[in-house]
Amino acid sequence: MDQTEAAQPVTDESILRRIERLQLDYISSIDDGPLDNWPQFFTEKCLYTVVSRDNHSRGMELGVMRFESVGMLIDRATATQHAAVFAPRIIRHVLGPMIVDETGEGYRSRCNVVIYQTSPDGDTMLLMAAQYNDIIVELDGVLKFKEKRVVYDTHRIPDSIVYPL
Amino acid sequence: MDGIQTPLDKKDIWSDAGTTRVPYQIYQNPEIYAEELEHIFYGSSWNYVGLECEVPESGDYRRNFIGEREILMIRKNDGSISVVENRCAHRGAQLCQGLFGNTGAALMCPYHQWTYTLDGELTGMPFKRGIKGKGGLNSDFDMKTRGLTNLKVEILNGVVFASFDHDVVPLEEYLGPDMMQYFTRIFDGRGLRVVGYERQIIDCNWKLQMENLKDPYHAGILHLFLISFGLFRLDQESKCLVDDNKGHSVLMTIKDSEEGNEDTGGVRIAAPDFTLTDHDLIQPLLEFGDRISLSIQTLFPSLIIQAQCNTLATRHVLPKGPGSHELVWTFFGFEDDDDAMNDRRLRQANLMGSAGYVTLDDAEALEFSQLGLAGSPEDEVAVLEIGGKDCESNDHLVTESLIRGFYMRYRDVMGHGKAIT
Ligand SMILES: [Fe+2]
Repeated sequence: MDQTEAAQPVTDESILRRIERLQLDYISSIDDGPLDNWPQFFTEKCLYTVVSRDNHSRGMELGVMRFESVGMLIDRATATQHAAVFAPRIIRHVLGPMIVDETGEGYRSRCNVVIYQTSPDGDTMLLMAAQYNDIIVELDGVLKFKEKRVVYDTHRIPDSIVYPL
Repeated sequence: MDGIQTPLDKKDIWSDAGTTRVPYQIYQNPEIYAEELEHIFYGSSWNYVGLECEVPESGDYRRNFIGEREILMIRKNDGSISVVENRCAHRGAQLCQGLFGNTGAALMCPYHQWTYTLDGELTGMPFKRGIKGKGGLNSDFDMKTRGLTNLKVEILNGVVFASFDHDVVPLEEYLGPDMMQYFTRIFDGRGLRVVGYERQIIDCNWKLQMENLKDPYHAGILHLFLISFGLFRLDQESKCLVDDNKGHSVLMTIKDSEEGNEDTGGVRIAAPDFTLTDHDLIQPLLEFGDRISLSIQTLFPSLIIQAQCNTLATRHVLPKGPGSHELVWTFFGFEDDDDAMNDRRLRQANLMGSAGYVTLDDAEALEFSQLGLAGSPEDEVAVLEIGGKDCESNDHLVTESLIRGFYMRYRDVMGHGKAIT
């Protein structure tokens, strides 16, 4: 989004493939589980937020979720599995191609994502159309999200958001 | 309440004169729904339309709904606020499309450019006299009677209400002294600022949403997150207040007032023992000069004002047919919030909204209710006898008296026979 400093397009195929694999493994931890793996994709201090484009474009940070540490992500994963009441459902993320730039903060990755939700009766609905705006850093040879901002267009959400996105 | 026993209306869907039996018909019957819109939303109610701070500049508007009718809250040139229906008086086209925007000095329909003042008075249209004396409007066309529907407006400490009925009682009288006291506890006159919005469709009747916020009984049972972390317990020092007309209410709990072990009457509430890994998520600060850590006010017909720890929001219930509603959350704070308070509001918002640790359970349970009662036989009813049969204020939480109160007001406004208890 905001290009604060000169961002260089990443052309190194091996880095692009590793980032793509990171994103696919990330959505698999949500879609296929176990959800306990989801926090591991983030750096210890991080920012995970799910914000409507409407709020985002008007400079408001309020999100349907906002977590700033792996601890908060662990709490969300635990609460979702053990301390929440909801009808069962299946979530399916579909990612578009990624645009990856290298910046002073790390790799900046942007891609479109649509998320489908299927009810116990087998009805599938489009839960949201969104965009991932991520900052990815390498720590001890492992790529992790330092920031993942899920900016969603579907600001009248057709159902509750049970799982992370 | 002692009342003169009046006969039930011929629309005799209520099985008795009280409100301990609520017919499932009122959650699904399209005719009853249509009457609700007419009698409640378009009748003598004060409806929430927004916060004054959402339209700071002259010409700014916010588009919203009262019932299913679209309205615009507009800042006028003189600084006051008008509310008009978002429907052109010519052929019915929607005037403004954005959720927010600026109309400039006048409202203009995009279809044929009929133009109105910001109060909704019709001022002109292209080719009013036709071309070369042919076409256009006849000279007997009365511009004065062809304005937009203009609503009565009152503003209370930055919160804007409107009514289709220009003879409605003043807002302060509509709320009554107890509700005024708790309304102004939060809206104390300080400048407001919007922290952000959330909007969500919940597939259940709008009244089930209102009932949920008048139901302290469920909160200590359904919300495993609150129970597991000790954030809400049914044995907390608490208060449930209803107004004289019984349709409004506020429920509140006092911080750190619970006793050692909750007496659940031998029933074990199935909740895991749980500690937060990162306690920064919830570090509440009492900010209103008292020890109330949770307060939920509901104003008839469709506004909820939530103050849970430091997450403050209006929740506006927009009916969308008998079986669905939209819930619009306007999270707000004050102009004088410092950065630390802003962080608290953003973090604690994790409890609320469409993914909220607390409200996710509510939205799901409400959909279970709608699914469960769908297609029920005409005479089936919900049973509301927790805490007795009356609609009075309480100093405990194991009660459905606020819901019974809501339906007293409801029956009265709907002409379903004045309920007695
Ligand atoms: Fe609840």
